[in-house]
Amino acid sequence: MSDQPTTATTAETPAMPATDHAPATVRGTLGSPLSHEALTLRILDRFPTVRTDVHRGELTFFVDPGEVVDLLTFCRDDDDLSCALLADLSGVHFPAGEHVVERQASTTGWPEHRVSRDVGVVEVLYVLRSIARNHWFRVSVAVSDVEGESTVPTVTHLFPTANFHEREVYDLFGVVFEGHPNLERILMPDDWLGHPQRKDYPLGGVDITYKNDKFIPPPDERDIREIVE
Amino acid sequence: MGLENKLPNGVLLTNLERFVSYSRSTSMWPATFGLACCAIEMMAAGGPRHDIGRFGMEVFRASPRQADLMIVAGRVSQKMAPVLRRIYDQMSDPKWVLSMGVCATSGGMFNNYALVQGVDHIVPVDMYVPGCPPRPEMLLDGILKLREQVRTSTFAELADHS
Amino acid sequence: MSAPTQPPTPHPDDELWVEGADWESVVDAVDDQRMTVNMGPQHPSTHGVLRLLLELDGEIVTKLQPIIGYLHTGIEKNAEYRAWHQGPTFFTRMDYVAPLFNEHAYCLAVEKLLDIRVPERAEVARVILLEFNRIASHLIWLATGGMELGATTVMTMGFGLREHILDLFESQSGLRMNHAFFRPGGIAHDLTDDFEARCEALLEMIPGKMRDFEDLLRKNPIFNDRLRDVGYIDADTCLAYGVTGPILRAAGVPWDLRKTQPYSGYERYDFEVPTSDLADCWGRFEVRIAEIDQSMRIIRQALDQLPAGRVMVDDKHIAWPSQQSLGVDGVGNDPEYIRHIMGESMEALINHFKLVTQGFTVPAGQVYVPVESPRGELGYAVTSAGTNKPYRVHVRDPSFVNLQAADVMSRGGSVSDVIVVVASLDPIMGGVDR
Repeated sequence: MSDQPTTATTAETPAMPATDHAPATVRGTLGSPLSHEALTLRILDRFPTVRTDVHRGELTFFVDPGEVVDLLTFCRDDDDLSCALLADLSGVHFPAGEHVVERQASTTGWPEHRVSRDVGVVEVLYVLRSIARNHWFRVSVAVSDVEGESTVPTVTHLFPTANFHEREVYDLFGVVFEGHPNLERILMPDDWLGHPQRKDYPLGGVDITYKNDKFIPPPDERDIREIVE
Repeated sequence: MGLENKLPNGVLLTNLERFVSYSRSTSMWPATFGLACCAIEMMAAGGPRHDIGRFGMEVFRASPRQADLMIVAGRVSQKMAPVLRRIYDQMSDPKWVLSMGVCATSGGMFNNYALVQGVDHIVPVDMYVPGCPPRPEMLLDGILKLREQVRTSTFAELADHS
Repeated sequence: MSAPTQPPTPHPDDELWVEGADWESVVDAVDDQRMTVNMGPQHPSTHGVLRLLLELDGEIVTKLQPIIGYLHTGIEKNAEYRAWHQGPTFFTRMDYVAPLFNEHAYCLAVEKLLDIRVPERAEVARVILLEFNRIASHLIWLATGGMELGATTVMTMGFGLREHILDLFESQSGLRMNHAFFRPGGIAHDLTDDFEARCEALLEMIPGKMRDFEDLLRKNPIFNDRLRDVGYIDADTCLAYGVTGPILRAAGVPWDLRKTQPYSGYERYDFEVPTSDLADCWGRFEVRIAEIDQSMRIIRQALDQLPAGRVMVDDKHIAWPSQQSLGVDGVGNDPEYIRHIMGESMEALINHFKLVTQGFTVPAGQVYVPVESPRGELGYAVTSAGTNKPYRVHVRDPSFVNLQAADVMSRGGSVSDVIVVVASLDPIMGGVDR
């Protein structure tokens, strides 16, 4: 058994070749999939200010909140793109300032995880899939994470499936989708305060680290609300 | 209200106690409170291989008023906690709670904002069955131990049980 | 935004805000028999903790609103505080009836970010276990669906057959459910020597039992009456609501991610995608039964193709260092491996230690990897910030999305049809609420 040095370098090649990330060439129900270049050209033709990126064989378009509805309408109604399915709508929070996941450092010894940004955003990701042509791509919208400015127009009138998804992003991140028919909390209780999936919201739970001078009181003497706050 | 609350204090009734406790232990009907993965194992305990019907418990009553054992099978979220307490309150005395799985016992691996870290924060628990999920055999073992506990309990103990 | 402090302003068209004393004025103004009934969250006939708010006009359902969140566990957030290799343990508990699919999609996403390919043996083993898991999941659907319709024998038959499949899982991974067997890079440890024999025995047993199911159910007049023409949803509505999986296939669209966007070597297997053009509950029943047959076909071919070799990728920075073997006292760490890391090589020991405690790092990036779970498209949108912990993992669960179609499917039907509709959607609340 040969040993490798533990410094993480890219000098060592894995035994199997890396995954081939070419998009599938299987036809959809009506036609062949468009390549990344064709998709990009089609979108840039109508929306020239859109930025694109390809990573690990996946195509992403970056747009402003104001253009989302127009872009998604075009993706749905255009014959070449014909994206009838909004497969996923999710959010990722990138907070401003320095964000450190410090809870583990004291208990596990893991390296600290620091991310530093000037402007905090919640990135709303739309995954659009075409059944007719069997291609898919992602649309990414960067919404400000400041309360009161965190708004983006809804797409439920285009894709009714976005109803639950947008409620979830609102519930967990605080992004307000303007025009949503029923923007209420969906996973947390209705009177919950705060948006749990944001990076500035604590994980919560009970402190179970054993320290010599502290012990966990029996259940009827614990005050759980204090800890979750 | 159970029989024990109707008797005057200090009266010794050993044979009656033994008979009533034995009857209660062998005629326990569980209430359906399957929440998550443990519910699937609880259903498997009702299946043909680990037959829970041998112990007379295959009738999972949907209405809590007809049940006396609440098996909390699965993780109890913050939203579900008031519902759990309401179902428990609707059950009539005598009633027992068996907390199945580590999520019901202590929050399990989900030590976070979303779960109640153990249903004993909400309802008094008589038997804890750990496991993630506990095998049906483990659940049956817990049920049998609970039955043993019920069978040997006295009226004085049961009167405090609320 | 915090919780509302006043009652919401009602929409003029279909909402009325009534507070007790003025009930009569409302009832006089509104002529019909509309009433609101709450089903759940604790109810024997809703799959798990699902709350349905029904608006009924007599016995006919005019509106159905699913209220979820009673099983929200914060798994996605919890995973951000764990290493990458600890992810499968969490995500496997989302869709707890088909746990291997969650692990598989997560591992595919992490492997895509890492840009590695798992060894052949691991890939084929994954496919075999996944297809058995698909059969087990469909059996649970059949069992619980039958029980909700009142056919309790179907419940005992379904769970009895599922026990045999769980025996296989237990022999390989050690657990009946929630296995955490698929790890990024391959599978946790090698398959046992009797794996192929066990699979063959199962493949011989299942068709006979499925014939029993067919004999019991297919021509049963009550089963037919309760399922035919109930819960109709056509293909366009399905796509509008994002519904995928057996429901979309029962509406006539032959969309299966294993065929259209193949992953994990599915392009090598010859199988069909069963569809139906009935688009009602009976169509979904037929599609799922046919899918069990196709799964057995895939398992047969995969068993013939199962190669020898490694089951974990050969990269020391990523590969899970477990080396297990069957000793005198049961399965445990291989004594050769222990002797090597404790006695011979300090570097191997450090490597083992770092991998198990800190885990490997994944290059920064975002991926979205969908797989075809028994309920539809299960997608993992994973974001990495280049560290040893996931930055964000979002799970696009098919049950979460499919539940939105329950409203459309039950309007115009009666209350008892709602049970059948929800059963045919096959939602698993662990995946819905995560």
